[in-house]
Amino acid sequence: MKTIKPIITALLLTVFATGCKESFLELTPISNATADNFKSKDDFELAVNAAYASLYTIYHPESAVSYVNEQMSDNALIYNISGIQADKWQFKDYSLSTPNTMVYQFWQEYYKAIFNANIVLNKIEGASLDATYKDGVKAQMLFLRGLYYFNMVRIWGDLPIVTTPLTGEESYAVLRSPQSAVYDQIKKDLQYAADKLPLASANTLAGRATKGTAQTLLGKVYLTLGDKAGAATVLKEVVSSNQYSLLPTYASLWGPNAKNTKESIFEVQFLGGSASAPFSKYYQMYYPITAILGFIGGGMNLITDDLYNEFETNDPRRDQTIALGYTNAGVFTAQKFTVKWTHTGSTIVNGNPLANNNFMVLRYADVLLMLAEATGDASYLNQVRTRAGLPKYGETGYPTAKYTTLDLAIEHERRMELAIEFHRWFDLKRTNRAIAVLAPKGKAIAENKLLLPIPQVVRSQNPAVTQNTGY
Amino acid sequence: MKQFLPFTSRISSIVILLFISIAFVQAFGQSKPVTVSGKIIDEVGKPIAGITVVQKGGKIGTISNEEGVYMISVAADAVLVFSAISFESQEIPVSNRSVLNVSMQPSNKLLNEVVVVGYGTQSKRAVTGSVASVGFKQFQDRSFSNVTQALAGQIAGVNISQSQGAPGVSPIIRIRGISSISAGTNPLFVVDGVPLENFNLNMINPQDIESIEVLKDASSAAIYGSRGASGVIIITTKLGKPGKTTISAGYEYGVQQVTRKVKMMDAQQWINYYVDAHNNAWVDLNPAVNKATDPNSARTTPYKIPDEFITNPQQFGKGTDWQDVMFRTAPSHNAQLSVSGGTEKTQFMFSGAYLGQDAVLDENYYKRLAIRSNIRHTVSDKFSIGLNLGTTVIFDRTDGTQGKSDVVSLALQSDPIFPKYNENGNIGYRDPNSVLYKYINYNDLNLWHPYSLTRYIHKQNKSFNTLATAFGEYKIMDGLKFRSSISANLANTRYNSYRIKNQGYGYSSLLPAEGNQQTSYMLNWLTENTLNFDRQFGDHTLNVLAGYTVQMQRDEFGSVTSGSFPNDLVETLNAGVVTGGSTFATEWSMISYLARAQYNFQNKYFLTAAIRRDGSSRFGKNTRWGYFPSVSAGWLVSDEQFLRDINFVNTLKLRVSYGMAGNNQIPNYGSVSTMNASNYVSGVNLANGLTIANIANTNLKWERTTQFNVGVDLKVLNNRISLSADYYNSITKDMLLNVPVPDISGFSTQLTNIGKMRNHGIELNLNTKNTTGKLGWTTDFNFSANRNKVLQLGPGNASIVYTDFVVAVKTEVGQPISNFYGYVVDGIFKNKSEVDSYPHAATTKPGDPRIKDVNGDGKITVDDRTTLGNYQPNFTAGITNTFTYKGFDFSFMLQGVFGGEIVNQNYRYSGFWNNGRNMYAGVDNRWRSESSPGDGKHFRATLGLTGLQDQFHSLWVEDATFVRIKNIRISYALPASLLTKTPFRSARLFVNAENVFLFSKYTNYDPENTTYNATSFSGNSNGLNASGNAPNGAFIGVDYGSYPIPRVITTGLKVDF
Repeated sequence: MKTIKPIITALLLTVFATGCKESFLELTPISNATADNFKSKDDFELAVNAAYASLYTIYHPESAVSYVNEQMSDNALIYNISGIQADKWQFKDYSLSTPNTMVYQFWQEYYKAIFNANIVLNKIEGASLDATYKDGVKAQMLFLRGLYYFNMVRIWGDLPIVTTPLTGEESYAVLRSPQSAVYDQIKKDLQYAADKLPLASANTLAGRATKGTAQTLLGKVYLTLGDKAGAATVLKEVVSSNQYSLLPTYASLWGPNAKNTKESIFEVQFLGGSASAPFSKYYQMYYPITAILGFIGGGMNLITDDLYNEFETNDPRRDQTIALGYTNAGVFTAQKFTVKWTHTGSTIVNGNPLANNNFMVLRYADVLLMLAEATGDASYLNQVRTRAGLPKYGETGYPTAKYTTLDLAIEHERRMELAIEFHRWFDLKRTNRAIAVLAPKGKAIAENKLLLPIPQVVRSQNPAVTQNTGY
Repeated sequence: MKQFLPFTSRISSIVILLFISIAFVQAFGQSKPVTVSGKIIDEVGKPIAGITVVQKGGKIGTISNEEGVYMISVAADAVLVFSAISFESQEIPVSNRSVLNVSMQPSNKLLNEVVVVGYGTQSKRAVTGSVASVGFKQFQDRSFSNVTQALAGQIAGVNISQSQGAPGVSPIIRIRGISSISAGTNPLFVVDGVPLENFNLNMINPQDIESIEVLKDASSAAIYGSRGASGVIIITTKLGKPGKTTISAGYEYGVQQVTRKVKMMDAQQWINYYVDAHNNAWVDLNPAVNKATDPNSARTTPYKIPDEFITNPQQFGKGTDWQDVMFRTAPSHNAQLSVSGGTEKTQFMFSGAYLGQDAVLDENYYKRLAIRSNIRHTVSDKFSIGLNLGTTVIFDRTDGTQGKSDVVSLALQSDPIFPKYNENGNIGYRDPNSVLYKYINYNDLNLWHPYSLTRYIHKQNKSFNTLATAFGEYKIMDGLKFRSSISANLANTRYNSYRIKNQGYGYSSLLPAEGNQQTSYMLNWLTENTLNFDRQFGDHTLNVLAGYTVQMQRDEFGSVTSGSFPNDLVETLNAGVVTGGSTFATEWSMISYLARAQYNFQNKYFLTAAIRRDGSSRFGKNTRWGYFPSVSAGWLVSDEQFLRDINFVNTLKLRVSYGMAGNNQIPNYGSVSTMNASNYVSGVNLANGLTIANIANTNLKWERTTQFNVGVDLKVLNNRISLSADYYNSITKDMLLNVPVPDISGFSTQLTNIGKMRNHGIELNLNTKNTTGKLGWTTDFNFSANRNKVLQLGPGNASIVYTDFVVAVKTEVGQPISNFYGYVVDGIFKNKSEVDSYPHAATTKPGDPRIKDVNGDGKITVDDRTTLGNYQPNFTAGITNTFTYKGFDFSFMLQGVFGGEIVNQNYRYSGFWNNGRNMYAGVDNRWRSESSPGDGKHFRATLGLTGLQDQFHSLWVEDATFVRIKNIRISYALPASLLTKTPFRSARLFVNAENVFLFSKYTNYDPENTTYNATSFSGNSNGLNASGNAPNGAFIGVDYGSYPIPRVITTGLKVDF
C-alpha cells in the first residue's frame, strides 16, 4: 500500500496540472465588446453611429467652435467674474497661452473624432460587403472628417493630417502640414461625400449627412478659400436640388421638437427625457448661473449688449434669440442669455434638465447668405430678411446708414440670423474683418491671435511639432 | 465561468480519493506499554497547563492539565517530547520510569519562534529574507476594526497611513516605498493562505487573528510571484490549543472625538472679507469712476453686497461653526466571545464579535458582526483535515470621505452667517417661506448644510463577506506531505440611498427626490495543491515545497436610479420612475506553479531558493506567463566556535537575499482593446454605437521588481538588547505605464511596459529590556528611510504631469515619483512700485502674490513652475515604551513621519476668493493696503483673481512632518489570589487611547489625510477618484477636505473562563 499512495497523489497532481489549459486564462471582456468586431453591416452601423456621436463633443455647448465663435467674437461672455475659470476666460480676453487646458482638450477631442471616422474608413476597405454600402459608409465618414478638419484648420491653421489609424509610434512622424494641404484634403473628402451621398429626400436615417450637407460645407470651404465662383456653383446646386427651404417663421426653427425640418441641412441629434440617452445640454449650459429652475445654469455664452443692440428694433429674431434675465420670487435679475435651445419643463435628473433640442450645424438660411456673399446678389439675403419680416436690403426701412455696403449688410444679417450658432468668428475671419470689427470693441485681437496656440502638451511630447507665431 | 464546473468536479473527485485513502491507513503496533505521569512546572515552579506530551515518532499524546499534571501510556523505551509555544521543547527518555517531573524553560530566544511565510511556516532562526512578524498580544487591546491600523508606526519599512478617519476605512499601506506609476500599489493580502488582491481587512475581526507577517523583501514575496512586488501581508487566524476549553469574553466601550478642528473664519471675519472683496473688485473694474462706498444701486449684480453686511453685521454674531454642527462625540461598543480548545486530535476556535460604532460625523455609523469557526481534525496519523470559515456582516453609513464635494469639505466651505435652523425649522436660506430667502439673489453666498447630506439623504451600505478554506493534509511517507485546499471568498454588497426632495433647503440647489441602489457581487475561488518534503540527514536539513494553484475571480456590479417620486413617503425605487440602470461584470483567472527549497547545515547556514511561474488572464497572449525566482542565504554567526565564548553576544545572524516579484494590478482587460457604448440619435430613436476605448497591447506583461536585501540580527547582553537592521535596493523594470502617445493617434495614452524606478532604504528595529525584575521596562524603536527615484520613463523620457482640480504632480527622471509641481509664491506685492520692479503677470496688482521668476527670463510663464515638494517622507520612526509592574501594564507609543509635504487642496476653496466660500481664519491677516500688508502670506481680497492666486503654488503645499502620540494603554490583570473566588481563569481591565495628540503645523485636520487613495482597479476604494487617465495613487498626499482622524478612548474588560 505504501508505494501506491504516492502514486495516487502524483496522479492527482497530474490531473490538476493538465486539467487547466491555456484556455482557462483566455478571458474576453464580459461587459465590453472587443475591437475585433468589424465584419457585418451591423458592426459597421455601430461604428458609424459612434463616429456621428463625436459630434456631441465637437458641437458641445462648451466646444472649441463655441469658444472661438462666440467667446472670441463680440457675441457672448462667460460668467460674471473670473475665478477658477482662468482657462475659459483666456478665450474672450485673447490671452490664450500654450498650457491652456481647454485648448488641449479641444485638440484631443478633434483627433479622437477623426480617429472614429478613420477607423471605419480603414476597416471598411477590407470588409466583404457590397460596394454601394461601402461607398455610402465611406462618404459619411469623409464628410465628418472634412467637417472636423475644416473647423480645425480655421482654429489652428497648419495641422497634422491623419487619414488612417496610427499607432503611438507612428504618430510621432506625422507633423503639421500647411493649411493649403489641409484644405486640399478637406476638398477631396467633401467632394467624395457630395458625389456619393444621397439627396435628403432619399435619406432614410434622420441626422445622417446627405449630398446637400456635403455641398453646403464644400461651398463654405470654397468661400473661405476666396473661391467665390466655386462656392456659388456648388451652393446653387443645393438651392436647385429643391430639397430645402426657409421655414415660414424664424420662431419655428426653435424648440425641443423642431427637428430635421425643411430648413435643416445638418444638425446634431439629441434625445431628451432620459439620463442615459444623449440629451441636449445647450439649455442648461447657456442659462445664467442660478438654481431657480432646479438645475444650476452653466453661465456660458451669456449674451453681450453689443449683440442685443445690433438687432433692428423691429427684428422679431431678437426676442426669439435672447432673454433679458430671469425672475425669482418677484425679483428680476438682468442677465441676457440665449433662448434658442430652451426646453421648458424638461425632466430634471441629477440636476440636469434632459432637454430634447437639436443643434443646427448647417441650415438653408446660411446657404442663402453664403450665396449672397459669393454672388453679390442681394436677393438671397433678402429671402432671409423677408422671412424675418424685415425690410429688404436696398429698400425703404433698411438701416442703410449703418450697413452701407452689401458686404456689411451680409455681415450684419449673418450675425443676427445665426447668433450663437457658432459662426461669428469664422465669418469675420473669412471676410478678413475680425480685427477691424473686434478691436474697437475692446478685444485684444491681433493678426497672430487669429489662430489658437498648439497646446504645450503636444509640443513637449513631440518637440518636432511647430508652434503658431505669437505663442 | 464555463471552466468552473468541470473544475469543481475534478476537485471533488480528489477529495473522494483522499477520503478513500484514509481507509488504508492502519494503526501501527506498539511494544509493551508503561504508564508515565508527572508534573510540569515553569522556571519559577508554577505548574503549566497545556504542555503537549507526545511519544517521539509515535502518535500517542496528551496534554498537561490545570495543575500541570499529565499521564501517558507509552513503551518503556520511548522518548517523550514536551512542547508548547513559548517554551523550549524537551526530549526525555522514559527509561522505565513511571514518574517524570519536568521543568520547562521559556523560549526567550526570538529566533526560535515560528513565523508564517508563504505556503508554510519557518522557524525565525531560519528566516533569510526580510519578514516582520506581529503577534496577537501586540494589538489585542487596540480599538481598530482593521488590524493593519494597529500596526501603523510599528514596523520599519511598512508605512501605514490613515487616509480618512471614518470607521471602516482601510489605511494606505506602502511597503518599502512605491514601485509603480500607473499600476496598483496595494500589498497582497493572504488570509489563512488565500491570496486576495485589495482585500478589505475589516472583514477579519482582529481578535480572531493569531499573527500578522509582512513579507517585505522581494525574495520572501517572490513565492507570490506576479502579485508580490508591493509586499505581502499574511494574516493567520487562531486555532485552539489542546487542553481545557477556553472561553474568552470581552467588552469595551469607546468614545470618539474630533479634537483638532480646522480654524475657519467666524461670521464677522467672513463678512469683513466678503465686503472687502466686493469693494476691491468694484473699484478695480473702473478705478476712475467706481468707489468702495458706492451703494448697491450703483453696482452691477456680482458686485452687490447684502445691505445688512454693511449696516449691521453685528447681528450675525460669531455665526455658525459648521464643524460643531457636523461632528459629535460618538460612542462605540465592542463585544467579543470566543471558545477555543481541543484535544490532540481536534482543535477548534469559535468566535463571535459585534462592533457597534457611531461615527463622529452626524448620522454615520459602522456595525459589524463577525463569526468564525476554525477546526482542524487529525483523522489518522497520516491524514488531517480542517476548515476555516469566517462570515462578516457590516452595516454602515459612511459620508465625508470623498473630500471636495462631500460633507466634511462642504461644511468647511459653508458661510458662517447662516443659522443651523431657520425660523421654519428648515436648514437653509433657499426656503421660500424664510426671511433668509432674500439671499438667493446673491450667487456668491454658499451653504451646504451638513444635515442636507446626512439627514436629508438616507443611505445604508450592507456588506456580506464569507471566506472559507477547507484543506486536507496527507502524509505520504515520513517527511513527505501532500496538502490540498479549496477556498472561496464570497462578497456581496448592497447600497441604498434616498435623497429627500429639496434637502430641507440646505443644499446649494433644490434637487428633486432621487433613489439609488447599487449592488456588487464577488466570488473568488482558489485551489491549491502542494507537496512538502521535510527531512534531516545528519547535519543537513532540507525542506522542499512544490505546488500548483488555480484561482479565479468574478465581479458583478449593478445600479438602478429612480426619480420623479410623488412625495417622500416611500423611499424604495418602486415609488419613483426608474431613470437609469446598469450592470456589468468582469473576471480574471490565474494558474501558478511554485517550488521552494530550504536547506540548512547544522542549523547555522541557511539557504533558500524559490521560483514561481504565474499565468494570468490580464496580460497579452504572448506574454501572460512569467517566472519569479529568488534566492536567499543566512549565517548564524553566533553559533560559530569563535563567537561561542563571547558571552555578551547571544545571537548574531547575517542575511542576504535577492529576488524578483511582479505587479499585475492593472484592469482585468488591460491588454485588450475594448469598445465602449457611444450612442447617437436618429430622429426620435436611439442609434446604438460602439467606439474603441483604448489601444490594444497584446505584449503587455508584468511589472518586475528585483530587490537585493542584506540584513543583520543581533542580540546582546542576555538578549536584553536586540537590533535588526536591513538595507535594500529594489529596481522596478517594465513598469506598467500609461505612456502618453501623441493625441493625433486619437488616444492620449497607451498601457505599455516601459520605464524603471528605484527604491532603496534602510530599516532599523531596536528592542531593549531596560529593566528586568519587578518593574519591567522595555523600549521598541523602529526607524526607516526610503529613497524613491524614477530612472526611466517612456519615449524620450518625457515627464508625466497629472493635473486634478488645479493640483499638478509631475513624475520625471531623476526625481521621486509624483512631485508637487507649481509656482513659487515669494511673498506678496506691497505696492505698485514693487509690482513694477518684479516680473509679474499683466494683471497683477498690489496685494497679489509675488510669483517667483524661477527660470529668470524676466517673465512669469508656465515655465516658472517647479517642484514644490513630495509626499514621501524622508524617514519615519516609531517608539513604544512598555512598563510592567505586577499586574499592571502601561505603554505609550510615539509615531513620527518626517520630511514629506502635503497639498492642502481645500486651499482652492478657502485660501483665496472662490465665489464667497468660507475662508481659513488666517486669511483675516491679509494684505489690506500698503500700510496694512498683513502677514505676507494672505492676499488682497478681490472677486477678480488678478495675480495667479488660483494657480497651484507653494502656499497650497505644507509640511507633512508630524509626531503623534499614537497610543497609550494601561491594563491591569487581576491577581490569581483574587480570581480563585471567581469563575474566571484570568481577568484584565484596560484603557486604550488612540491618536492621543498630534504635533503638526498643518492647516487642515491631519497631515495623514489624503483624499486620493492608492491606485486600485478593484473598485472599492474610499476617497476621491482622479479624473481622466490619472491614477489615484499619483495624488496620494493631496488632501481635498478629508475626514478627520478622531481621538478614540476605549475601556474594556476581558475575561477567560
